[in-house]
Amino acid sequence: MSDNLIIAIPSKGRLQENTHAFFARAGLTIERPGGDRNYRGRIKGLDGVEIAFLSASEIAREISAGSVHMGVTGLDLVHESIDRPAEMTHLVASLGFGPADVVVAVPKAWIDVATMADLSDVASDFRGRHGRRMRIATKYVRLTRGFFADHGIADYRIVESAGATEGAPAAGSAEFIVDITTTGSTLVANNLKILDDGVILKSKAHLVASMSAHWSGTALAAARAILDRIAAEENARTVKEIRALVANPKAVATVAGESYGCTAPFGAVEGQPLVLHCPAGDVADCATYLRDAGASSVVVSTLDYVFETTNPFFSPLEQRLVFRALAGDKSS
Amino acid sequence: MADDRLDALAPLFQAGGYHHIAPPILQPADVFLDLAGEDIRRRLFLTSGQDGLDLCLRPDFTIPVARNHLAEGAAARKAAYFYSGLVFRQRPDELGEIHQVGAENVGRTDRLAADADMLALAVEAVDKLGGRAPAIRVGDEALFIGVIEALGLPKVWRRRLRDLFGDRKRLDRAIERMAGSEAAEKDARLGFLAALEGADPDAAHAVVEDLLSIAGIEAVGGRSAGEIAERFLEQAALATGAGIGPQAAATLTRFLDISGSLEDAGAALEAFAKDAGLDLAGPIADFRERAKLIGERGLPLDAITFAADFGRRLDYYTGFVFELHDAGAAIAHPPVAGGGRYDKLLALLGAGEDVPAVGFSIWIERIAEGAKA
Repeated sequence: MSDNLIIAIPSKGRLQENTHAFFARAGLTIERPGGDRNYRGRIKGLDGVEIAFLSASEIAREISAGSVHMGVTGLDLVHESIDRPAEMTHLVASLGFGPADVVVAVPKAWIDVATMADLSDVASDFRGRHGRRMRIATKYVRLTRGFFADHGIADYRIVESAGATEGAPAAGSAEFIVDITTTGSTLVANNLKILDDGVILKSKAHLVASMSAHWSGTALAAARAILDRIAAEENARTVKEIRALVANPKAVATVAGESYGCTAPFGAVEGQPLVLHCPAGDVADCATYLRDAGASSVVVSTLDYVFETTNPFFSPLEQRLVFRALAGDKSS
Repeated sequence: MADDRLDALAPLFQAGGYHHIAPPILQPADVFLDLAGEDIRRRLFLTSGQDGLDLCLRPDFTIPVARNHLAEGAAARKAAYFYSGLVFRQRPDELGEIHQVGAENVGRTDRLAADADMLALAVEAVDKLGGRAPAIRVGDEALFIGVIEALGLPKVWRRRLRDLFGDRKRLDRAIERMAGSEAAEKDARLGFLAALEGADPDAAHAVVEDLLSIAGIEAVGGRSAGEIAERFLEQAALATGAGIGPQAAATLTRFLDISGSLEDAGAALEAFAKDAGLDLAGPIADFRERAKLIGERGLPLDAITFAADFGRRLDYYTGFVFELHDAGAAIAHPPVAGGGRYDKLLALLGAGEDVPAVGFSIWIERIAEGAKA
């Protein structure tokens, strides 16, 4: 592995579009010279970074193997493809797209089954009645096994299904399924219902870091640069900048901080406009307060980036990597 | 080192009429997944044959030996086998190869004597391998079955409890649930269920089946409308509190808590049965007879521990089970040998009927560890 930071991102579909949009918002343009057929790319203007275009399930595996430093993938795949995910990976940031649940769904006709406890009874009864175990169609073998073990259900068999899992009960290749769903409409269309306590995992796309990769100084510096921009954009998106000239800026800043969660990034200096960063939802209330406090006009503006010393994405990652180094770097 | 000790072992088995058997290392994975459940998959070394058949490296000897037995003649014929070799299980941070020796005895209808012989043979074999005088622990699922039958629990609960026997924690949780009202966790369907309860069972069954067929539902997901209707009504009975009540639950817990030396266990069980007003004469008589036979084979009954809640969750184990622990090690330490009666295994493998069978396996490496310590 070269010293470069390698980030794996989905090579196609909506996940790819969303990922590009996510990075673009932070001012990071992903370049893919040669178009869709090229499996390596870069980030415009950033040296020391390589982009690997992979399929979503490959990304989780590569993160686990340590052949990429970070990747964009769903939590479902992190938990499905990686043994001991908490140890092998670090969740850097939730990306806010790709929400979906991994669920247990049974035929609607099973009016006697609403919970996992019901399913446990049916599974046990089914074996006695039909002389074989009930079959679950799923591609989530590991997640299913763990979830069913937690519920003490042993009487089942997994039928691995690569696609169109929701059709398995109707086709007769399985009795029920474990699958991922966003709206549940595919399940409904196939006459399936989700059990009351049948949500195995709430998944979302995440930026995930590998704890088994070798992190060179270059890679770490590049990760910091990227995460700084992402954090700066996120900071900027969630706050508005408010400027107002008030008589006693120190006292006003304190009240604004306590009441509306504002910060005063440049301090409060007598005779100069007070600059506050206010959570976007509280801007109107804060402006009212400032006028009450004597400001003749209150100016609110939207920010592009807010860089801060501590980075909520990078600092925890750095800490884990330092801890790993202290515990003995297994990858070297 | 292991080989020398095994040389000493073969004459012991042969003297008892046991024949050496070496079943194939590669086995069809399906058999193990069907018998032991999907949970075993993560411990199997899986591969596939040319025709796409899933194969695994044998994770134990009992099932491969039973398959050989079935392949070579009538299922119920008498046969006695001993084996020595590797079994393969995925284990974190440890080698997946495990050396086991053991014996299986098929077809003896004098079950209690066969149980006692098997335990005595296991103790002698561990001794020959250089293990220190082991602590012995025994259990008997037949007693547990006897108790839940005698308590007159609803069928659903008997099945639930049987499924969990051998896993005390889960079993306790289930008993707790049984003592409380099942209704508490049910939902809006309760009213409908209650309306059905008490109706003529056949009529209610027909109503539910009709409802399903009106909705255009036939066999979906491998379960027939009749099957769904039946269980729906079963729920109705439970939901309206076919009240099992805390009494039965407390009795069951009191039974599971019984433990002590094998010498005193018979009396303790009788006292329990009398106190709880349960008829357990059959299983207790068998239990006492077996204990007597074990004593006659020279094993000290006062040094054998009986625990009422000790069993295996594999459902082909049907009765007597035992474990040998290194005398120096804590009981939480894995046993150096384990065995038991598995009368259902051959039937599940296709024999067509239950065939009496009992056996044990010794983990060679655990004896080595114990001897070193």
